Amino acid sequence: MRRWLRLIGVTFNLKCKIMKEFMMIFIGADYADLGLSPEEMQGRMGKWFAWGNKMEEAGILRGGNALTPSVRRIVGENRTVTDMTSAEIKEIVGGYYLVEAKDFDAVEAVAQDFPDYDLGGTVEIREIMVFDR
Amino acid sequence: MESKMIDHLFRHHYGKMVSVLTRIFGLAHLETIQDAVQDTFLKAALSWKNNPPENPEAWLTKAAKNRVLDIFRKLQAERKRVPESTNGIEAIAINELFLDSEIADSQLRMIFTACHPSLAPTERIAFSLKTISGFSNKEIASAILTKEETIRKRVSRARKIIQQKNISFQIPIGRKLPERLESVMEVLYLIFNEGFQSNRSDILIRKELCGEALRLCKMLLLNKKLRSPKVYALFALMCFHAARLDSKIDAEGAVVDLMHQDRNLWHFPLIRMGNDAMSKAVEENVYSSYHYEAAIAAEHLKARSFERTDWDKILLWCERLYEIQPSAFARLQLASVQLQRNELETANQILRGLDPSDLGQRGYLYYGFLAEYYRKQDEIPKALACLDLAILSVSNQSEKKYLEKKKQSIQPT
Repeated sequence: MRRWLRLIGVTFNLKCKIMKEFMMIFIGADYADLGLSPEEMQGRMGKWFAWGNKMEEAGILRGGNALTPSVRRIVGENRTVTDMTSAEIKEIVGGYYLVEAKDFDAVEAVAQDFPDYDLGGTVEIREIMVFDR
Repeated sequence: MESKMIDHLFRHHYGKMVSVLTRIFGLAHLETIQDAVQDTFLKAALSWKNNPPENPEAWLTKAAKNRVLDIFRKLQAERKRVPESTNGIEAIAINELFLDSEIADSQLRMIFTACHPSLAPTERIAFSLKTISGFSNKEIASAILTKEETIRKRVSRARKIIQQKNISFQIPIGRKLPERLESVMEVLYLIFNEGFQSNRSDILIRKELCGEALRLCKMLLLNKKLRSPKVYALFALMCFHAARLDSKIDAEGAVVDLMHQDRNLWHFPLIRMGNDAMSKAVEENVYSSYHYEAAIAAEHLKARSFERTDWDKILLWCERLYEIQPSAFARLQLASVQLQRNELETANQILRGLDPSDLGQRGYLYYGFLAEYYRKQDEIPKALACLDLAILSVSNQSEKKYLEKKKQSIQPT
């Protein structure tokens, strides 16, 4: 029994060592500002579903959220507050996914299925920083 | 979790919800309603990216229901006249409007509104595709080969007329019903033909238009008050034509004429559906132009090969069609059948009595058939000259290529 536990512990540690967490940040125009038709939007949704399913089946999806297009910015010493809409900002962060992967190349491969490249969208891949305990 | 969406769910749902909300708030607020429904899809797109719903359709309907209050508030804020049926106590009634049978009823009301005689036929088409079928202006423009700006104008003009004339959101009753139903059928027929006859190489867009016309026609048939032999005939006609859609264009997007179509590609389930509709259409022995057009299409489908086409029977149907609808197109069709029957002089006479300018954009067909007449008479130079005229007057690229190929095939080597 003890040996079993140790074995599990070893593999678990190994896994932790190899796998890292990455964030895929989605940047681009807001759907509302692009004036997509219902049919086009359904097409997009289908692709997002397929991508989400694929990542889930691969067991790499750790989380994610979509963001609404209203923005409030607080900037600088004076804490200047500006409310903006996506229409005023061409590029807006629309959401993110957290995935587990070996390295940047692996995430890049995953990001191939991001549905909105044809709308000029961008995926920014960032590694989650891990601090020593 | 696997989340499945049926084809065109968003597009169809858009049409459903716009119709239901219009029934609640009235045609005067159509623009606000359309924006609100569009907004529902945006919200769906946002929240579904990470959390696909188990039942997308139910999610959308619920969201649209929630919109009722939003619209109500918005209209109040703009100090617009708000219909009384939104007084809170009516919430139950509103819920009932979202039942399937009531949704269908709302959509029929919208179709009959769209086909009001005050609107020009082009406006009826654009308004229908936009409001009932959920196409965007861009999609309509690309489907019927017009500029997006033109479509935008047609839709907004239609909306304006509907408001100015205070057209009511209803299926007309009494003596007005047959007349308006006639107009509805005509619009569906036009939408279908935009898809079927357009000869554009993008088969997807063409299928969508034909599918939409079929879907709307079926909605008429599902309503007891609206179904009639004529509607059945229209439905049969659409089924018969749609069955051939896949064979009309080859892998390279080039036009394939009836003679060269691969008859194995014809879609059997549609043919059967057309047959069923046709048997209901002839129950009363009153025949319309749709009946004869369906009969002609069916005759082509019956022939196992082009050579075995029963041209005598087709001629009979064409003559009947010409009797009740003596249009330039019906005449042209008569000429083409006579050519097939090798009654060359008769064909020639029919063609001579035609003015190609009466055929509008399809004037090239006149020269095409005249060329065929000369070819059969072995007057090749004249045939070539006619083909040149046809090529000169055709605007569609794939049709042009087809004519050029034909020209090459008869050119003496």
